[in-house]
Amino acid sequence: MSFDPWIWIGALLTLAIFSFLYRENPFYRFAEHLFVGVANGYAITVMWHLVLTTRVITPLRGGNFIVIIPTLIGMLYFCRFMPRFAWLVRFPIAIALGFSAGVSIPAVLQASFIKQIQGTIVYPHTLVNWQQGLWAVIILIGVISTIFYFYFSREHTGILKPVSYIGIIFIMIGFGASFGYTVMARLSLLIGRFYFLFKDWLGIIK
Amino acid sequence: MKIWSSLLKIDRRIIYLAVAISVLVPLIFPFSIPTNVMPPTQVLFNAVDNIDPDNQAMLISVDYDPQTMPELQPMLKALLRHAFARRLPVLVMSWPVQGLGLGKKGLDEVTAEFNRLAQTAEDSIIYGRDYVFLGWPPYWLAAVLRMGSDIGQAFPADYYKNRTSALELMKRIKNYNDIGLIISIAGSAAPQSWITYVNTRFGVRVGAGSTAVSAPDFYPFLNTGQMTGMMAGLKGASEYEHLVHTRYKTTGEMAAIRGMSSQSIAHLAILVLVVIGNIGYFVTRRKQ
Amino acid sequence: MKRKIPLIIVLVLGITMMIQFFIPHKFSKDIYMNILDWIAIIGAFAFILGLGSIIRHHIDKIRRKKEHWPYSWVTLIAIVMTAIIGLGGGMEGKGPLPVSFPIVTSAGARVISYSIQTIYENIMAPLGATMFALLAFFMASAAYRAFRARTMEATLLLVAAFIVMVGVVPLGHFISPRLPYLAQCIMDVPNTASKRGILFGVGLGVAATSLKIMLGIERNWLGGGK
Repeated sequence: MSFDPWIWIGALLTLAIFSFLYRENPFYRFAEHLFVGVANGYAITVMWHLVLTTRVITPLRGGNFIVIIPTLIGMLYFCRFMPRFAWLVRFPIAIALGFSAGVSIPAVLQASFIKQIQGTIVYPHTLVNWQQGLWAVIILIGVISTIFYFYFSREHTGILKPVSYIGIIFIMIGFGASFGYTVMARLSLLIGRFYFLFKDWLGIIK
Repeated sequence: MKIWSSLLKIDRRIIYLAVAISVLVPLIFPFSIPTNVMPPTQVLFNAVDNIDPDNQAMLISVDYDPQTMPELQPMLKALLRHAFARRLPVLVMSWPVQGLGLGKKGLDEVTAEFNRLAQTAEDSIIYGRDYVFLGWPPYWLAAVLRMGSDIGQAFPADYYKNRTSALELMKRIKNYNDIGLIISIAGSAAPQSWITYVNTRFGVRVGAGSTAVSAPDFYPFLNTGQMTGMMAGLKGASEYEHLVHTRYKTTGEMAAIRGMSSQSIAHLAILVLVVIGNIGYFVTRRKQ
Repeated sequence: MKRKIPLIIVLVLGITMMIQFFIPHKFSKDIYMNILDWIAIIGAFAFILGLGSIIRHHIDKIRRKKEHWPYSWVTLIAIVMTAIIGLGGGMEGKGPLPVSFPIVTSAGARVISYSIQTIYENIMAPLGATMFALLAFFMASAAYRAFRARTMEATLLLVAAFIVMVGVVPLGHFISPRLPYLAQCIMDVPNTASKRGILFGVGLGVAATSLKIMLGIERNWLGGGK
């Protein structure tokens, strides 16, 4: 068993969260609110030491006064809490949105669209190896039928019906695979906490 | 028939207890099963193994927070062990604020593991020479695009408030041309963002360490080659630990491999629960 | 003007960043670098919105004595104390505020630290990790009660899930080497195909939404008011 007070604090807080499994109780609520508070306090610390100090205060001390401009624009975020000047918060938001919208359009189209189309097309050289060729053809059929399934602008009748049904099959298999991996993920998190409780705290696991 | 109806109405806390027992017992009484390595993990391992340590570095982005720590922290430590065993320089950064503490913890623990065995300064893992902890960028997209021309401008100071460009390693690692591989260890779609904005624009290879929940979503990128390998979940972490330990005989706790016996039994338990639920459903439905 | 100028900023900046992607000229690159440096500082302040909202919410809860209001004190005190320790003690605990104290135990003298990193590792990390670990129990309960092979499609989902669940763990390889191979095939082929189809939709959706924001068609971000 550990005698480190911090391990005990971590273990008791872990048990407080786990107590929610029985029913909601004051210990769980306390732990939940503590988490929110500590997380925000940590973020304030990082913001000061790693951002404001290094990117604003140090350059200002070094004579680089240009940083005042983006700092003042950023400080307009504070106007959100002053009803009379709340409209000023639109300026830094507009800058951030305009930047990310402009950057993302060509990037997303290239990465999630063009490259993926390239990956779906079956080239003659893919068919040289029969196994690879078979998987490539199945992927092509799967992608097209999945896209057909998500086309809701027309009723799924005629040729759309069997094609979208094939799409459902691929989607169901894909979601089944996702569920299998989700089970693994959730259990892994539980394994990690039990490992901490029974090894680091109680010392039962050697 | 009655037994099936009562089984279907069983209190949820009994199910919780069953899951807890199926996880706990193999942890206390582990059994060893040989680790089989899946292809995406092998591809990632080979990619890291083929980076030239004299000319390039590896960038690890800690894109997760404590919520997914049990799955992803072993991946970070395995990657760091791999890099340090090869004397491959490493840059570490974090996307979510809460990932910083985990990045620091992983670096401190693995560095200590290696330095415990080191006998000279050459053998030791030294900050600034062998690795740099860049810290957290306030606006991720701007920072990763900036790193394409100058990493020192994207991170003017590191986590310890040293001027980044003054560090020994950063005198030769300037931008993505000097990065052999970026590995995003993430509990979200962060690897996809790295591919979209960095791999597409700058051509630098991107690999991933992903939670099992997100892993299926990245297979289209593995298929096109936009993603160079992936560790999926705790199993992926155990595969990587196994590969690193087998090749480089690293020491240090291998938490992911340790968890595999629990993982196996717990999966079977969930399977049994689902099967019982379905049998009960069909039996009671037929009687009705 | 209060709405028009931000919309113009979005349009101009958006088009600039889009065009810049294709222009390798030095002038374009210089503007691009300056924008990146400025955006990094502007973006940092966005955190204030979230922090301010949380503080306002909890102060409001205390003032109006809403349900569970005493716990809001826990949050506010935790924010203040953690911020003081972090700001005063520094990221490494080497700041002007002392963040450790020596104690003498039966095993000898030792130092107890309460630096920001210690608080992170022993309070934040366990709490965050355990909150998500609860999901394992909820997932098991939900799977037991709701996962039924009612239809052909649901059966297909169930079978795929079973193969993957057993195939990806080492026990699967122990039972049969074909299981991991089958699981990997499921991931490489039907899973890739369906996820790629979904990815097309998502990619087009992101591009369309970005375009709508740039062109001022999507204006929810402006908020209410004039």
